[in-house]
Amino acid sequence: MHFVVCAKQIPDPETPPSAFKIDPQKNEVIPAQGIAPVLSQFDSIAAEAALRLKEAAGDSKITVISMGAESAQAAIKQVLAMGADEGLLLNDPAFTKGDPHTTAKVLTAAVQKLGDVDAVFCGRQAADWDWGQTGLLMAEGLGWPSAIIAKGVALDGQQLSVERVLEDGYETAQAPLPAVVTVSNEFGEPRYPKLQQIMQAARKTVTTWTAADLGLDAAEVGEAGSRLRLEKLFIPEKEGKVELMEGDTATEKAQALVKALQGAKVL
Amino acid sequence: MTAETPDQQRPVRLIGAWFAPAVGASVLGFYGSFQLQEETGELIRHSFFNDVAPPAAPYLFLAALTGLLVFGFLRHATLWMVGQPTAQSVLREIPHRMRNAVRLGLAQDKVRRDRYAGIMHWCIFSSIIVLTFVTAQVAVHDDFGIEFLKGDYLNFFTFYGDLFGLVGLVGVGMALARRYFSDFHRIRWDERFEDHLIILGLGLVLLTGFIVEALRIAAEPSVFADDAGMLTLTEDAAPFAFISYPIARFIELFEMPGSQVEGAHFVSWWSHVTLSFSWLGLIVFTRLDHIFFAPINAFLLRTDSPGRLSRIPNLEEREIFGVGYIQDFSWKQLFELDACVRCGRCTEVCPANLAGQPLSPMHLIQDLKAHLADVGPAVQRVGHEGGDTRAVSPVAMVGDVIKDETLWACRTCGACVQECPVMIEHVPTIVDMRRYLVMDEARLPATAQGALENLETRGHPWRGTSLERTTWMEGLGDVPLFDGNQDYLYWVGCSGALVERNLPITKAVFKLLRESGASFGVLGQEETCNGDPARRLGNEYLYQILAEQLVMTFKEKNVQRVITNCPHCFNTFKNEYPQFDGHFEVLHHTEFLSGALRDGSLRATHPVGEDVAYHDSCYLGRINGVYDAPRQIVEMVPGANLVEMRRNMSKGLCCGAGGGNMWQEEVGERRVNHVRSEEAVRTGAQQVISNCPFCIQMFEDGVPAVQPEEEGRIRPFDIAELLERAVFGPGGGEAKEPAAAAAVSDGDRET
Ligand code: SF4
Ligand code: SF4
Ligand code: SF4
Repeated sequence: MHFVVCAKQIPDPETPPSAFKIDPQKNEVIPAQGIAPVLSQFDSIAAEAALRLKEAAGDSKITVISMGAESAQAAIKQVLAMGADEGLLLNDPAFTKGDPHTTAKVLTAAVQKLGDVDAVFCGRQAADWDWGQTGLLMAEGLGWPSAIIAKGVALDGQQLSVERVLEDGYETAQAPLPAVVTVSNEFGEPRYPKLQQIMQAARKTVTTWTAADLGLDAAEVGEAGSRLRLEKLFIPEKEGKVELMEGDTATEKAQALVKALQGAKVL
Repeated sequence: MTAETPDQQRPVRLIGAWFAPAVGASVLGFYGSFQLQEETGELIRHSFFNDVAPPAAPYLFLAALTGLLVFGFLRHATLWMVGQPTAQSVLREIPHRMRNAVRLGLAQDKVRRDRYAGIMHWCIFSSIIVLTFVTAQVAVHDDFGIEFLKGDYLNFFTFYGDLFGLVGLVGVGMALARRYFSDFHRIRWDERFEDHLIILGLGLVLLTGFIVEALRIAAEPSVFADDAGMLTLTEDAAPFAFISYPIARFIELFEMPGSQVEGAHFVSWWSHVTLSFSWLGLIVFTRLDHIFFAPINAFLLRTDSPGRLSRIPNLEEREIFGVGYIQDFSWKQLFELDACVRCGRCTEVCPANLAGQPLSPMHLIQDLKAHLADVGPAVQRVGHEGGDTRAVSPVAMVGDVIKDETLWACRTCGACVQECPVMIEHVPTIVDMRRYLVMDEARLPATAQGALENLETRGHPWRGTSLERTTWMEGLGDVPLFDGNQDYLYWVGCSGALVERNLPITKAVFKLLRESGASFGVLGQEETCNGDPARRLGNEYLYQILAEQLVMTFKEKNVQRVITNCPHCFNTFKNEYPQFDGHFEVLHHTEFLSGALRDGSLRATHPVGEDVAYHDSCYLGRINGVYDAPRQIVEMVPGANLVEMRRNMSKGLCCGAGGGNMWQEEVGERRVNHVRSEEAVRTGAQQVISNCPFCIQMFEDGVPAVQPEEEGRIRPFDIAELLERAVFGPGGGEAKEPAAAAAVSDGDRET
């Protein structure tokens, strides 16, 4: 079997609020100084799902694909260290500033070029923009069934059996292979790589494909191909107000508090 | 210092004191042996009294014993040899090692840390030494024809023979009381049949010794009946046998026929000799082997700081990193296993054990020892045959023999190492197995994994912090950045910068440094973790990356002297960075501040009228021996009254955070910080003072748990916070302008 894991490198979600800055003119996040980008947490869980499936199926291969700049090598290496076999970086200036649609287009083209892929694993969403669409759009582009927000996956012959998180429980869905699965944090913690694997991963070379390699026209990807346009990027102001309850006795204060809370529609 | 309970052990270095009586008596014996002038009519010890045995008999015993000892040693040695070479050559620093062997092995410095056990052990030890010497003298006298046991010396000889027999019996009595008549004493936590054999056997040897002597005295009249002109012991020297002589007199009350007394003497002589040699034979089969192993292990003891973990060389080229198989330990680590006497001292002081968590260092050592005995011979054989030694053991050493949670529960606090009377070093052994778990197996608690991943990606272990490394600078005016020209780098550390509770500590240290007029700067945004949590958690690879980076930064910036407010950083810079060619002068803030108070550059003028309990952090106290500086600071704070906790100084109890446990869920009955908080509360003090950001966090968390009433609750502070109040007054006061050159304004710092 051949599994693909899609991995995105994102600005560190744990950037301290005071260090998180945006450029309102360009509508862009200014990368925080000294804070390195990280692999989106959901994608590392997707990698964990693929790895467990590989262990169950035996004789399988995992390719990790990331669309991004050269720095995204680090995200790819991280998944390689976890146990993926090959890394693939989709890097082309034309790919930048796209939307989920164009991202899915690029990733789809890569999966198609790989050819023999049996399943694609994505995080349920990228932890920076939280769109949660790329996986679904890939399934659309590939013409494959998809199961999203998975908390468990198992191989069942040529079928994939997926436990999907619902609001009040979970359901089990079956999908014929090939298929696309997006994995949720309920799946469990991603593994910690063994040092042997970290060192092996460091020695592996990651293949890079450009738009030309994928046979994509620069006009249909990245900013040029985007259907979504970012109107305004801003950091919401948070305001805190303190109101002291007046009253001579505790009962009076409590009554005033209840009234105030009702007024604020909290109660 | 207050007269509470400062550790009594420290200044005592009178090695000889313990030995004086035993050695003195022996020296006198030698002296006596040179008084060989023939003086007729003088009282002399009669050779081959009562013809008890052919003269060769004891030598056959001795030969058998020697053979047995050699056999036993070789049998052990073949097991140790399955281990790896040691990191530090044991043939380096011989004088240092000899000192250790004398001080820790012969003078038993560690044994004496428990006073009762110290006295007991000295009684038994000196008795065995002296009585062996007594026996040897008899042998020389009887068998080699050098008849020196005569005259005044014979009187003395007779006296001290009995004296040390008695001393030995006192020791045995103390041992029996501890083993059979006290509550569940630590020495019974892993009790075995051999323990009874050893102590009762020794008691019997000593008792039969007295009986032989008494019967000899009693039998003299009949033995010498034909030899009328002969002087007998009874008439002169015998009364010096102040124990045996009365027994002899007592025996005489029964008016047994001479032949019966002679017969009894014959039987008791043989019993005594057989028992003695059998007892010595126990050395080969029981923990009595510590007679040899303890001083040898003292010799083998590391000569560098106990705060230093070994550096794995050439990590990049290795295939195994930690110790997951018994043969991956060094031979010295395997040797240690055999030295353990199951005394329970380590477990008694282990914070994890005190909190009912799944770690007992004694059992850990014993389990490893049993595992070595189980699989060692096969490992050795397979190794010789060139087979796969890793396939030998049917069980996993790490996982089955030693449980994962046992390894994770360790605080690397060093209390076990400090107490172990046979100088076993548990901490490196535990960390070696952690290294296996983390680097070879990638099997670790999720929380520890989170901390390590955070270190990898963000350069600090504090997952989810919303602070920046410069947040603490707010409101302090200009904070000088280190530019290579100042005297000191003030190293804030991750805990000092990124944990809300510790910001006031960092600010306090900063203000005090500035007030003292010291020339110093900080690294601000350029600080990254020095790697200590990674190393203690077993990720040596990550540690080396971080350490090498930081050593480079320090060198680039021309850092010579560092002041830290975290004892873990202190230990790492001071003891571990030299492994990476980073040699810096490192001070903990308490050392610097107490110096500044002494030389008058800081003045504590505002009274703080409270009792303060002082908590020794493991990495400043026990591991680096800084006990006085912080206490001096408290003493120089007007009005502050220092109270000592029950466990203090080198016997201080860990707060629970060490060894990466700051970032782990604790498993077990209780949490260590609750245990320690309870001890702080029990002092009745209003404040508990420490010197480590981890300890403060642990107290902040532990105190409310053991003292739910907010009213009158003990408050945890860093010693710098206490001093800040005393120097600047309750509100923190106005601070002087910084003395240093390079300064950043608030605006610059934003980027
Ligand atoms: S170092 Fe401390 S926590 Fe670890 S085993 Fe020794 S006493 Fe226990
Ligand atoms: S390891 Fe040391 S302290 Fe612990 S039981 Fe053994 S001899 Fe005693
Ligand atoms: S050891 Fe020092 S640098 Fe590392 S976490 Fe502790 S406080 Fe931070």
